[in-house]
Amino acid sequence: MPLDTSAYSLALLRVDGRRWNELRRIHAQIRTQAAADGSSYFEMGHTKVMCVVNGPSEPGPRRGGTAAAAPGGGQSKDAEVAVSIVVAGFSSVDRKRVGRGDKRILELQSTISSALTASLHTHLYPHSTINISLHVLSQDGSLLAALINAATLACVDAGIPMTDYVAACTAGSTSTYAANDESADPLLDLNHQEEQELPGLTVATLGDSDRVAVLVCESRVQVGRLEGMLAVGVDGCKQVREILDRVVREKGRRMLQEGTVEKGVGLDEMDMD
Amino acid sequence: MASLKRSLDSDPFAANISSKVYVRSTKSGKVQKIVREVYLRQDIPCSSKLCRGCLKTAPKDAAGRTLPFVLSDKPAGTKQFPQGHYLVPDTNAFLNAMDLFEQSSAFYDVVVLQVVLEELRNRSLPLYNRLIALTKSEDKRCYVFFNEFRLETHVARDEGETVNDRNDRAVRKAAKWYGEHLAHASGAKKAAVPAVVMLSNDRDNLRKARQEGIPACSLSEYVKTLKDGERLLDMIPETQDQDITASKDSRRSGGENLYPEFFTMSKMMTGVKGGLLHQGIFNVSPYNYLEGSIRVPAFPKALLILGRENINRAVDGDLVVVQVLPKDQWKEPSTQVIEEEAITKNENPDAEGEDFVSEKERKALQEEVKRTQSKTTEGHAQPTARVVGVVKRNWRQYVGHIDQSSVSKSGSQGRKQDSVFVIPMDKKIPKIRLRTRQVTELIGKRILVTIDAWDRASRHPTGHFVRSLGELETKAAETEALLLEYDVQYRPFPKTVLDCLPKEGHDWKVPASTDDPGWRDREDLRGLLICSIDPIGCQDIDDALHSRPLPNGNTEVGVHIADVSHFVKPNNAMDTEASIRGTTVYLVDKRIDMLPMLLGTDLCSLKPYVERYAFSVLWELSPDADIVNVRFTKSVIKSREAFSYEQAQLRVDDASQQDDLTKSIRTLLALSRKLKQKRLDAGALSLSSPEVKVQMESETSDPIDVKTKELLDTMSLVEEFMLLANTSVAAKIYEAFPQTAILRRHAAPPKTNFDELSNQLRVKKGRELSVESSRALADSLDACVDPNNPFFNTLIRIMATRCMMSAEYFCSGTQAYPEFRHYGLASEIYTHFTSPIRRYADLVAHRQLAAAIEYEAVDPSVRSRGRLEAVCKSINVRHRNAQLAGRASIAYYVGQALRGKATEEDGFVMKIFSNGFVVLVPRFGIESLIRLRDLADPEPQATFDAETYTLTTTGSREVTVELFQKVRVKVTDQKDETTGKRGIKMELIKAI
Ligand SMILES: [Zn+2]
Repeated sequence: MPLDTSAYSLALLRVDGRRWNELRRIHAQIRTQAAADGSSYFEMGHTKVMCVVNGPSEPGPRRGGTAAAAPGGGQSKDAEVAVSIVVAGFSSVDRKRVGRGDKRILELQSTISSALTASLHTHLYPHSTINISLHVLSQDGSLLAALINAATLACVDAGIPMTDYVAACTAGSTSTYAANDESADPLLDLNHQEEQELPGLTVATLGDSDRVAVLVCESRVQVGRLEGMLAVGVDGCKQVREILDRVVREKGRRMLQEGTVEKGVGLDEMDMD
Repeated sequence: MASLKRSLDSDPFAANISSKVYVRSTKSGKVQKIVREVYLRQDIPCSSKLCRGCLKTAPKDAAGRTLPFVLSDKPAGTKQFPQGHYLVPDTNAFLNAMDLFEQSSAFYDVVVLQVVLEELRNRSLPLYNRLIALTKSEDKRCYVFFNEFRLETHVARDEGETVNDRNDRAVRKAAKWYGEHLAHASGAKKAAVPAVVMLSNDRDNLRKARQEGIPACSLSEYVKTLKDGERLLDMIPETQDQDITASKDSRRSGGENLYPEFFTMSKMMTGVKGGLLHQGIFNVSPYNYLEGSIRVPAFPKALLILGRENINRAVDGDLVVVQVLPKDQWKEPSTQVIEEEAITKNENPDAEGEDFVSEKERKALQEEVKRTQSKTTEGHAQPTARVVGVVKRNWRQYVGHIDQSSVSKSGSQGRKQDSVFVIPMDKKIPKIRLRTRQVTELIGKRILVTIDAWDRASRHPTGHFVRSLGELETKAAETEALLLEYDVQYRPFPKTVLDCLPKEGHDWKVPASTDDPGWRDREDLRGLLICSIDPIGCQDIDDALHSRPLPNGNTEVGVHIADVSHFVKPNNAMDTEASIRGTTVYLVDKRIDMLPMLLGTDLCSLKPYVERYAFSVLWELSPDADIVNVRFTKSVIKSREAFSYEQAQLRVDDASQQDDLTKSIRTLLALSRKLKQKRLDAGALSLSSPEVKVQMESETSDPIDVKTKELLDTMSLVEEFMLLANTSVAAKIYEAFPQTAILRRHAAPPKTNFDELSNQLRVKKGRELSVESSRALADSLDACVDPNNPFFNTLIRIMATRCMMSAEYFCSGTQAYPEFRHYGLASEIYTHFTSPIRRYADLVAHRQLAAAIEYEAVDPSVRSRGRLEAVCKSINVRHRNAQLAGRASIAYYVGQALRGKATEEDGFVMKIFSNGFVVLVPRFGIESLIRLRDLADPEPQATFDAETYTLTTTGSREVTVELFQKVRVKVTDQKDETTGKRGIKMELIKAI
């Protein structure tokens, strides 16, 4: 097995060869499933997730049930963002089955739902539901961040109006909580091993701004170190946003090109060439 | 739908990302495949001061600093590499000869490759830690090069290539790159560029390296070119040497394999999981080196492992896997003393493996078999087992001396390598075969050696010499030997630790102004009549007490403990050092402190007549010594007097002394008797171990006499209140930190531990030992009196103590509440709080108590369960080692005090074998074996009745010796001329 995270101080290199302020390789695609209203695929290192968005849709005729029994969203003035996460059994090393009712999953779902609700213009779709379903194919740390990024892309693909991208990443610190090392370097984008051994947090920001949309910190860390971690995290979010934006624009350009061929709609005049 | 598969193809950086696959098996036996990403880069510096390129791109930390380059621009040259050289060792070089790299005379400018570091970590964590320490030391110039992350040196495993081959290839590639990089980047002339020399003992690897044009040496080739190569050569383990010298190898391989082959790891794990095999720690009997035992969960009694073949190269302390033998091979534990020294005395270290089980051993074992077969041993037979594999070796460095009889008389001149045997100080460790070129210098010295290997073809383990401690039996050498043997950290405190001390030094005082921040939340208790009571000459005064009557008829009692946590802040260098040391170690003539002297004997010590910071526990006690209430506070006190136990006792006993201080001590004494009675009523045990004190001549500090320790009421006084304070604090910190309180428990001993003792008592004295509860045990121990033999009760207590478990520190979250119980003290919950100057556990308890009373914020280190568990584990070991070292030191000095004298003493038989018996002499607190052959020459015939524990000799001398019997013995100190070992010798004068 490789060295653990304590080896950082030997040469300022992390367990996978990155420096403290480097993201892992990010790969993203949108419109991966034509049948859905919106879809995306997102990789951060070996964390791989897929997202499908359906809606916004108004509740159809109910089968048997009464209106009161239906989940609340459909009735409110704003659209409800319903998030469901399915974790594939093969996604992690120990290949454990994760049930839908798993507490951690419920928490992830509600975090993503409220983050997107804040950015999506849900007031445009009263009494309707936006269904976001996420599939975790492989896990190697920063799962929540990857899920948020995938959901953002899929919503863009679905054409749901939104204020700006919600871009997320994680940040950590190079020494453990117990070591209480004030001078520990902050870390950007934790992989699984780092998440296991070191304190960390997930942060998401809205677009180019420093506005924090999500901040989740489940590990113990000294307040003194938090500021540095947060700054690195927010900086990472901006890098992620750049990448998301590039993917969307690239896909848009390609769709325009291919659109002329595929759909045969008279868009020649919009052709950029 | 777009393809998701080939996401890497579209990535411009894809070439720089590689995956590493690891296979790991979990505890439950599952195999997991782990895929890790690796980011390859070109900005990992070579860290040579000669290089101009790397500095620009070297990684910076968050504050923008780069690590300084470590490899010298003018590295040392050797005969072979006059232009200077850097070393690139492979994993085996470190595995086999870490001692070499720690030498101060050579081995500088070492490039430690990541692949080597990883491999080393998997193979041996202690060696890994030593290497990490080397890379952090400033003068060794060791640089860790992350070759696996650098694009040019990254090596992917080829199909069909073994991991080892790949790693060897990675080492060669890195060495080659280093050479080329330096030639290119330094810009110097070719002749002036240092050579990059790969060190390896793998023949194949060396050959390939030379083919590829990489300078490469085996360890011994390299060491020979160094200035003091002769000396260093001894540190290279011989097995490795053999790998290279093929001629010797073939000579040896002609020999038969003496030991059964070990099972593979997976076979062992499957077997253990399936319940067919059992895993546990191997322990060697102190009386018989051919008998071991192992405790496994599946059997209530320990499994016996008898004979060389069944022990199969396991060494005391190793984690082994055993297979239980069929029931018809179950045996009773040996009733015979078998000592390795006596039996293997004349073996020749060169003629290895000619006869596996020597004639003598065979004879000794046959006696055993005869005995077990001649009798129906139903019910007594114990399950036996054989070792089928070693999961983890517990090898360490051993102190010993060369067996003079093993030195060949002819070959000791010149610089030829000789094989000799080293007899370790620890009797449970087998003789170690050592090859050295300096036999003549090492004879008569205390030396430090390690075990390197134990091949199937070799009767004894082979090892190599580390260093000499000095002449045998000189005080310096023997003391250092003791410290090494018990792993006591005795080096002076480093500067980083001393920097943590208050700048004022000895001039530090409690601030005069109560507005000073030091006074925050401290109670001013300077007005109380506080005093301390300790052994004579005690300098590190941890505790002081006071009492005063309250208007309501109750008494206020205070225990004041040195406020060490005020001076030792969590996680600074001093704290880390203290946590590693774990405890102060007391030897007869030396004290190895846990904290620097300035704190231990001055600033923290509750010396009389000066103000000191303290942590106080204050009770209101009813006249019956019931606790009405208790509170805890940081305080400032001023001790009125530092008494010795004797002084305090005299003062209390002197009716003419009627001052308030004396009166308050009398009150404390009265209360302490009530507290003690309560404890005893609850079932506290009063156990015993023979305690003696060595009296030293004050000038020369040579031991002159040995005295048994006297018990005074004042000792019991202090002890009772310390127990009370510890119990009160334990309850408080557990209430505040249910998951992470540091506590101390003493598990109830398994009933079977007492089987032998209670049988002995039944047979010999017609008494029953009831062990259902500590109370029952205490009562039946009280009842064990022999009117004709006042020492009998103490003897039984000593023997009962040896059946007990040892107490241990633990973190409250790791045990259920009922398991917190301290069996010996009959207390539900207990901790150590009263000696923070000399025990690290107490310091942690202080921090927790300070947080519990909201005096200060909780430091994360005392709330992190993982961290606390690690601390507990380490201090449990340290604590035990400190005790053993202390006892060994007393034993050594008792021996020195007896040197040249012969005295007659009373003794008691505490263990009996078919060919000898063990006698305890209370006056010296020593026990020693008297063998049949010590009784008379020629050795008398003997019949041993195991049922009645009686040994009757006939022939050249006729005596009958039975268990618990009082005997008169002559005690002398003797040196065995052949082995060079000195020891106490007892001769039986008569049985009484
Ligand atoms: Zn360089």
